[in-house]
Amino acid sequence: MIIRMAKVEIVGPKQDLLSALDLLHHRGIFQPDPQLLERIELTDDHMQALVLNEPELRERSFFQNLYERIAALLQLFPETVDCLSPLQPLPVMDLLDELVDQHLASARELLRLLNECQQELEDLQRDLIFWQALEPLLIDLPNDSNLELLGITIRDGQQLQALEELLQKRTQGRCHISSTKTTEGSLIGLIATDREVAESLHQALTDERVPESPLPEELAKLPLAQRITALRERLQQQSANGHKLEAQIVELSRRWQPTYRRALNWLEERLTLYRATATAYTTRLCFVIQGWMEHAEVLSLHSDLKLAFAGRVVLEQQAILEEDLDQVPVMLRNPGYFAPFEILSRLLPLPTYSSYDPTPLIGIFFPLFFGMILGDIGYGAILLLLAIFLAQHFPPQRLPSDIGKVLGVAALYTLLFGLLYGELFGNLGAVWLGLHPLWFDRSKDILPMTVFALTVGVVHILLGISLGALSALRRHQPKQALLKLAMLISVLLLVLVVVGWFYPQSWLKIGPLLIGVGILMPVLIAAEGLLAPLELLKTMGNIISYVRIMAIGFSSVLLAVVANKLGGMTGDIMVGILVAGILHAFNLLLGVFAPTVHSLRLHYVEFFSKFLDLGGRRFEPWQKHLP
Amino acid sequence: MDKALIAFAAALAIGLPAIATAWAQSRIGAAGAGTLAERPELTGIIIILVAIPETMVILGFVVAAMILLML
Repeated sequence: MIIRMAKVEIVGPKQDLLSALDLLHHRGIFQPDPQLLERIELTDDHMQALVLNEPELRERSFFQNLYERIAALLQLFPETVDCLSPLQPLPVMDLLDELVDQHLASARELLRLLNECQQELEDLQRDLIFWQALEPLLIDLPNDSNLELLGITIRDGQQLQALEELLQKRTQGRCHISSTKTTEGSLIGLIATDREVAESLHQALTDERVPESPLPEELAKLPLAQRITALRERLQQQSANGHKLEAQIVELSRRWQPTYRRALNWLEERLTLYRATATAYTTRLCFVIQGWMEHAEVLSLHSDLKLAFAGRVVLEQQAILEEDLDQVPVMLRNPGYFAPFEILSRLLPLPTYSSYDPTPLIGIFFPLFFGMILGDIGYGAILLLLAIFLAQHFPPQRLPSDIGKVLGVAALYTLLFGLLYGELFGNLGAVWLGLHPLWFDRSKDILPMTVFALTVGVVHILLGISLGALSALRRHQPKQALLKLAMLISVLLLVLVVVGWFYPQSWLKIGPLLIGVGILMPVLIAAEGLLAPLELLKTMGNIISYVRIMAIGFSSVLLAVVANKLGGMTGDIMVGILVAGILHAFNLLLGVFAPTVHSLRLHYVEFFSKFLDLGGRRFEPWQKHLP
Repeated sequence: MDKALIAFAAALAIGLPAIATAWAQSRIGAAGAGTLAERPELTGIIIILVAIPETMVILGFVVAAMILLML
């Protein structure tokens, strides 16, 4: 149902504004609406939107700046610490203002050093793998100081051969290539050459786009045998260095993060209050805030304000005017049985405040229509088991649990109508168990079933039009209410004409009924214009649309009967059960999807269009989001 | 001959609305897919919109069933 809302005005001395806003923010039950005060501002010269004075602006700017720096610092900390410092941030805000810059600089420097260290570690590890793979080749080489060694990465054996030919040609045979595979499986090579031709060899490798693996300068100068040892030592040294830097950052985070996080939360709250001041209006001495809240909470907030401000800040409930109706925010809350059906009403935009919450109506009619369409004891039992599983294995008020509850109610109606139609997996119940319909045999009684579906449509649509008339009365629109009433009577008369046409009764005279429609027609045209007759026809079309209750149900029965027949035609019990089982599973899948979509469609398109005004604003009170 | 005509009439009664429904749903489905790319919160409404033209084939099915079973 739509929760009753109250329009309230909170008035107090200007100096209590932030404290009052803090209290409202803390309670989380009030939604300010400055648009309500805009109207008063236009007529009252003393009332104006609140403009912060210079000290307040300075303070807000200081808090904003500090907030941004603390947020930047917290982003640099490696892990989130859940605990918050018990320290009250306000008295130490100036100290934090100084400290945060120092800590920001330290954290940035530590992270820069750590990044450099990690980058070097990656390079060293790659070099170590490379030179370790080349180590056996280095042993065979003479310890000649005039020898230049180049490490290269080779794509494949074909490239190696081509490269060897090219380099031999460029250096006139004054180089030697050895190749091997690394532990990672890539092919690498070692080129030994004379220092005199090394330059042209570098150029050749660049031209051929062969990547070299140069060592750091200080390692490259070392003799061959010492290179790998030096690489390992350097790697260990940098690894230890990296651990040390990480420990320093973690220590900084551990010591200061709870304090900064607490300060950030406080600043967030404070800045929210400053932003909220934009919703307040002021006179020379007072502030005024208008907004919306749940009617049931008015007294409690009134006493809270009285207690906190010793009567200086007062709350007054105001009448909701007709021009306010479109602005009243909407909150839906449904008790036990209806609550899970909100998953279906949430597919629509919110209704306006003066309209209806569609949830209870969906809760009543959706499972009923679902059961009328599917109506099979076997399918109903399977769906009930599935619903129990969903409702029990998922936490309450979660989507799967709500789906389970809605499906459970729909399954119960499916069982009930299955009993009335005498169906258990189509005609299987009749063949095996001698099950007989208590009401209709849907596979044969097409006409009675059609009449039943249309009757359901008439009742549903007439209910919708009646609710539309009531809704118009609630909005103080008597002309609209009268139009709905005229429409209701016209539809009723036309339905009686159709009934009288197909099932003539002595008391049902078509002529007078048509005269009645003719008399009402000018009323409809006067109220709604020349489109009124079309609206009447559309409503009759809406009623005919309910024939889908029969049609989809009928197709479901036929599919079930076909499944049983095909299963029986196989001549083998196991194969027959398998064939029938697959077809019944398919039919059940369709039997869940089609009744759901079409029941919803009957609600959304046919039923709700008669009375529901959509487009309401959601009630979004100020709330503390932080601990 | 009568039976053949009855069957043909039933086939037309469901076949033509089925084609019309398929065409309408293809257009609504394509537009709906485009809408969902930008506003996924409209999923429920799009499903309902796609189901709207099914009225044609459902009524066609009812008429076909009546032709076959009642004539």
